[in-house]
Amino acid sequence: MNIRKLIGAVALAVAATGVSAQQTVKLASLVELSGAGTTAGTTFRNGVDLAVKEINAGKGILGRKIDMTTLDTQSNPGIAKGLTQKVIDQDVFAIFGPVFSGSIMVSMSESQRAEVPNFTGGEAAAITKQGNPYVFRTSFTQADAIPKVVKYINNTIKAKTVAVIYQNNDFGKGGRDVFMKAIEGTSTKVVADISTEQAQVDFSSAVLKAKQSNADAVFIYVTEEESARALKEFKKQGFNKPLIGETTLTGQKVIDLAGDAANGAIAHVGLTADAPNANIRAYKAKFQKEYGFVPDHNAIKGYTGVYVLKAAIEKVGKFDRKEVAKAMHGIKILAKDQPGVLLDIAFDDKGDLDRESYFVQVKNGKQEVIQTFQPAFTSKK
Amino acid sequence: MKTKLPFMMSLFAIASFVMLVLPLFLKNYGVYLMSYWLIFVLATIGLNLILGYAGLKSLGHAAFMGIAAYIVAMMMKTGIDFWVAAPIAVIACFAIGWIIGYPALRVQMHYLAFATIGFNEVVALIFRNEEHYTGGTFGINNIARPSLFGYSLAGNLEFYYFILFIVVTVGLLTYFLVRSPWGKAFTALRDNQIRAESVGVNIQRYTLLAFATGSAIAGVAGCLLAPLVQYIEPTQFNSQTSILLYLMVVLGGSGYFWGPILGGIIGVLFPEWLRFAEGWYMLFFGLIVILLMVKLPNGLLSLPEIINQRKAAKEKAAAQAR
Repeated sequence: MNIRKLIGAVALAVAATGVSAQQTVKLASLVELSGAGTTAGTTFRNGVDLAVKEINAGKGILGRKIDMTTLDTQSNPGIAKGLTQKVIDQDVFAIFGPVFSGSIMVSMSESQRAEVPNFTGGEAAAITKQGNPYVFRTSFTQADAIPKVVKYINNTIKAKTVAVIYQNNDFGKGGRDVFMKAIEGTSTKVVADISTEQAQVDFSSAVLKAKQSNADAVFIYVTEEESARALKEFKKQGFNKPLIGETTLTGQKVIDLAGDAANGAIAHVGLTADAPNANIRAYKAKFQKEYGFVPDHNAIKGYTGVYVLKAAIEKVGKFDRKEVAKAMHGIKILAKDQPGVLLDIAFDDKGDLDRESYFVQVKNGKQEVIQTFQPAFTSKK
Repeated sequence: MKTKLPFMMSLFAIASFVMLVLPLFLKNYGVYLMSYWLIFVLATIGLNLILGYAGLKSLGHAAFMGIAAYIVAMMMKTGIDFWVAAPIAVIACFAIGWIIGYPALRVQMHYLAFATIGFNEVVALIFRNEEHYTGGTFGINNIARPSLFGYSLAGNLEFYYFILFIVVTVGLLTYFLVRSPWGKAFTALRDNQIRAESVGVNIQRYTLLAFATGSAIAGVAGCLLAPLVQYIEPTQFNSQTSILLYLMVVLGGSGYFWGPILGGIIGVLFPEWLRFAEGWYMLFFGLIVILLMVKLPNGLLSLPEIINQRKAAKEKAAAQAR
């Protein structure tokens, strides 16, 4: 944004307050634009903004245009709480964000008190466990995604033994714990449980341990750069059994960093811009044109979140927060009716979502979908 | 300073009017923001004592806020009343501050700054890793606001006045402390240690005392922050927060009694007022901080002194020219 645009935006904001509020619906995104959550928050915000722009260019929601406010939480829960109160004071219809689980914990109690629907980006299971009827998730949780990986290892590959390499922080440890619980009842045995550190450079001993365990497959749950290092080390040590992960193992960044070594790696991905789906492909192109980079899962979360709200409001037929929140529970939104949701999507009674997801394998430096997981709500039909 | 007493009094009257009446006209967010600011003012009063009066470069101040906040939150979660938990938390901060004061006797200046950053990181790591007690990265949620003699302080406005009362009380105590022989000893320590010792100031005891008292005040701030936000997590109390507090003391005017209030305005309220600049607001904030540092290295409150000095220099020059 340059200075002229900034002045324009300020002038526009001033002008907007003069226009009667009847014609618009106020929404707010509270996201991490500075601090530890900047990357996730910014892309989430971009996704939200793109959706708002499209809706406003079209017919709006029930004929009303969206009046969007974006505020930076600085990745600080104390500030996130204040900002939630601020936008509620301003009488917003719904809130998007925050993306970080900690900030969500405070913002969602405020939005619940004010009965304002809140679409969050966090993946921690605790968020929807508290039975808050106004909070809705825009992504899968670890508790949803990792059991699918377990199923794949047990049913599809039929591995008798598996080694686990995880990263010892809230992300890696959380995922590992879900994995261990899910695999307990199956015929697959965990023969090695290997801890690594965030920003670890040398994976030789972790890989050696996995190799010596003689497992039929390895589950790798570390973040992007570490994934690339681990994959390189596996190739170096000549390991040739399946390497399986969740989202992070086959990300574009990993493929770029690991090169050849990424070939063959398999992962479950909930949201990916590479999904074999015309809607997502179109979205990827639009996003890239607008912001100049490939959208990640956070960008898809923000984008689809706005369209989910639109669909819920249209279902209710009026701007009533309580009714919309009620309608969100158990809602099914089909992509053919509401293209902006990209994939058919359903919400359960806790505000958790369900939709299609994929298993991808890296082949020749590209993600290729090898299996599609149907959401539970379509197979039940 | 003596001639300025009526001026100070009227300033004080205006300030108390603003603090007491303004929140009645604000919405939830405004009241919350003012409460948040007051808590940082309180923490900064403590740091000002350590840094501004005793001259100890501490960069671990947020750790003490965190220690108190976690003690209060954990005790309240087990059903212990706020009024029991809070004094324990403050005493704990005083004790830990006293212990941390010992290395402060050995290391000085930037070495002390490094040591205290290290201390802060250790504390933040404990908050993060002792998941069983502290909730780890997910923190502690739904911390209740206390009630006073059966009167609930759960409302934003009620809690604001409660915080205001505590801040004013602690502020007054500090005001008298820095004017007492103790306070004089602190400043003597800051200005010239050897000379201070030569006139009989026990360096060891006063260093420890300054550190422990400042830490206890940070503890009071922590006790209030936990029920204000009603949620605590480790990153709220990491060394970045300590650096922000340090910045607030320096910008406000370290060693000036009113410094923390101005510093708090710059550190907490400024970024909020700058939000109209959207994506640019943190950049503006940074520029303002740099500008202040360059133009007023001794803080905002050194401005009258600088003006007086300039005036005096001008008069002197004029007198000489005649």
